[in-house]
Amino acid sequence: MSTYIIKRLLAALPVIAGVIAVVFILTTIVPGDPVRLMMGQRGDPATIERIKEDLGLNKPLWWQFLDFFRRALTLDLGKSYRNNMPVTRAIGQRIPLTAKIALSAMAIAVIMGVTLGIISAVRQYSILDYGSMFVALLGISAPTFWVGLLLVVLFCVKLGWIPGTGTGDGSWIYLVLPVITLGIRPAALIARLTRSSMLEIIRQDYIRTAWAKGLSERVVVMKHALKNAMIPVVTIIGIQTATMLSGAIVTERVFSLPGIGRLSVEALINRDFPVIRGEVLFLALIFVFTNLLVDLSYPLFDPRIKYDR
Amino acid sequence: MKRSFAIALALVMVVAVFAGCSKPAVDTPAEGKSDKYGGIFRMAVMADPPDLDPVHATDTSSSRVLYQLFEMLVDLDSEGEIVPNLAESWTISPDGLTYTFKLRQGVKFHATTENGTPTANGGRAVTAEDWVWTFNYITNPKTNSERAYFLDMIKGYQDYQEGKTDHLAGVRAIDDNTLEITLEYAFSPFIAVLAYNTFVVLPKEDVEKWGAEFNFHPVGTGPFKFEEWVQDDRVVLSKNENYWRTDADGNQLPYLDGIEFKVINDLTMEWTEFTLGNFESIEELDDPYYHEALSKYPDSFFERPQMGTYYYGMNVTLEPFKDNKKLRQALNYAIDRQGLIDLVRNGRATPAKGVLPPGMFGYNENLVGYEYNPEKAKQLLAEAGYPNGVKLTLQYNSSDAHKRIAEALQQQLKQIGIDMELKNVDWGAHLDSVERSEVPFFRMGWVVDYPDPDNFLYVLLHTDNFGPNGNYTRFSNPEFDRLTKEARVESDPEKRRKMYQEAEQIVVEEAPWLFIYHYTTHQLLQPYVKGYELPSFGAYSAKYYDVWLDN
Repeated sequence: MSTYIIKRLLAALPVIAGVIAVVFILTTIVPGDPVRLMMGQRGDPATIERIKEDLGLNKPLWWQFLDFFRRALTLDLGKSYRNNMPVTRAIGQRIPLTAKIALSAMAIAVIMGVTLGIISAVRQYSILDYGSMFVALLGISAPTFWVGLLLVVLFCVKLGWIPGTGTGDGSWIYLVLPVITLGIRPAALIARLTRSSMLEIIRQDYIRTAWAKGLSERVVVMKHALKNAMIPVVTIIGIQTATMLSGAIVTERVFSLPGIGRLSVEALINRDFPVIRGEVLFLALIFVFTNLLVDLSYPLFDPRIKYDR
Repeated sequence: MKRSFAIALALVMVVAVFAGCSKPAVDTPAEGKSDKYGGIFRMAVMADPPDLDPVHATDTSSSRVLYQLFEMLVDLDSEGEIVPNLAESWTISPDGLTYTFKLRQGVKFHATTENGTPTANGGRAVTAEDWVWTFNYITNPKTNSERAYFLDMIKGYQDYQEGKTDHLAGVRAIDDNTLEITLEYAFSPFIAVLAYNTFVVLPKEDVEKWGAEFNFHPVGTGPFKFEEWVQDDRVVLSKNENYWRTDADGNQLPYLDGIEFKVINDLTMEWTEFTLGNFESIEELDDPYYHEALSKYPDSFFERPQMGTYYYGMNVTLEPFKDNKKLRQALNYAIDRQGLIDLVRNGRATPAKGVLPPGMFGYNENLVGYEYNPEKAKQLLAEAGYPNGVKLTLQYNSSDAHKRIAEALQQQLKQIGIDMELKNVDWGAHLDSVERSEVPFFRMGWVVDYPDPDNFLYVLLHTDNFGPNGNYTRFSNPEFDRLTKEARVESDPEKRRKMYQEAEQIVVEEAPWLFIYHYTTHQLLQPYVKGYELPSFGAYSAKYYDVWLDN
């Protein structure tokens, strides 16, 4: 197992380097000069030149690329052009909030999604099935910003039960609407996937055998069917979690939350290259690790899958 | 099984939605010798300030906070007139080269910050040496201050920037309370430049202690002290107990216990939260809520003309505007400015006849500008070589407001046969391509850095200032250049006024801009906020030292 993990991590290195290389190239192709933007609407060319020199922006791209990796090895991702904050700190400050929202949303999504998926599969063509799948379809189709605004209008403006924006005094109540908004889409996705995956499994011979043995519905569904149906579901849960951890741009905007997504948007608008590169590196690492975790979890659901011996 | 799942599901939803349904409590205690004391002023702002270090700040989001933390030698009152601030008075030598400032006594740097932590300076008094140090720090090439070049008229600036000397020769302390600044050449708007929010006094000890991190631990002399900054969420300031200013009854200012700037980056949400009473003020009232706000808050919605102009630039070195004054004039005759303002801005702007906004020194009531005259526009268009109309592409930076205006103008121009296509790009790309002289027709706006026509006419239209310096249309006219350059050193206000009016008339005649409107500035407050004055310089420059809450 450890050999497998090491192999996977080594294999991830060229992937990460490739992603960063693409970002380096893209940031230089896109029009808009970070130092010029720092100057406000008007700037003095002499100062612009001097700041560029100091930031190493006049150096060739390959040099900047290698320098980025050289520093990244010592956990130095540079400083934001916009406010001079070390990039590791800028990202680090935002991880707790983003993680709290993403993981809560995912927990709700998994509970709701898997539950609805199982009910629909077991009671296929029943009113419950149609009802759940209709709700799931709505959940997938409704744009996040619209869901967010609707929730705000209802619970914050009309009913006045929950504050609408920001993090307030840090109380969990401020996160209720963002978590629901963020959780709806993955919940719907998981529900649909669980249903189709379950439907495939419950038609298998070994499930019929289980019924024939006289096992209870609980054991047949939860132990024999669900466990085997989980592999595609776990995969999608992994991808969704990684996506959410890399920042819920729309949700964070609607609710004015200072998460990772807001940092990305601001960095892109301001051509804040160190922050953009740092965030992409962070995002790439999140995806590599969640995918690895997902792969490592497969043997729990299917003992036939084994990683080296 | 079905039932247990249904129950679990119901539980999840109930917990998520119903638990803890309450609005955050608001309490603003009133205490002290005057009943005006106390309370936190909470304001919703659109964006996080990038810089709380005044030396690097270039934007209004930062300025809004900086005006509370730091102070300049001089300030602008709400009418845009220069008034004493940390300098009590000043004299100017007859040749216009030497400025001598008498400094206010009893001004102290913040003694504590961030939850009572003592500052490195310990709350000591400000002396002329502090100003000398600060001006040297700002203009030091190693500091890379984005706004140092505003001081390029100070004697020795170039030598210092180029590393030929180790200090700024033109600034010296005569004694503890007297500061002298000598200029390389007479520059009439110099005092106005000193009101810019970069040129504040800084405590050497704290700047040296924090280095680049000073941005996150600012220490100044202002009415409020820095407490906390959560990126993209909030900036919290608290009352400076040692502030020098008192009110008319001798009560020490400020009245407020603190200010909290909260980032709500959506105008609809800002308005919603305001109506719920969660903020004392919001940065911007979006046009769709204008009428509702006027009727709900008739006595606490302030709006007035601001020193700024909204225009579309026509690059005179690019086709089709190159050597085609008539085409540029035709566009100016083709638009109904008042109609546009009424339609998309709720009447909240002043039609622009020329460059300078009303209220600015040198503004010319009798300027011969453009009226809405489609017939004349058509005629000029034909004379310009486009009897069958012309196709233009307008580039603007993405924003709903700019889009609404562009679409309205698109309809107006269509009436005379001008087919205006719209192209929007983000601000960075817009600025970049416009400055490189790649875009013939573009949206732009300008709000003054310091209230003087120099900051409009010289900066935006003089041949010296092509590109990033401000002249995006590459307009160049020898007579205009001469007038605006000479007006910089002219000390007689009446002569200066005439020169600027003459220069402006040249620009209007040559029409490198499609003059659209002059901005207004506004601020919406809760009715219980008292003592507030809206500055003509822009709401972002409002000071809160004598604002109080009557609740």
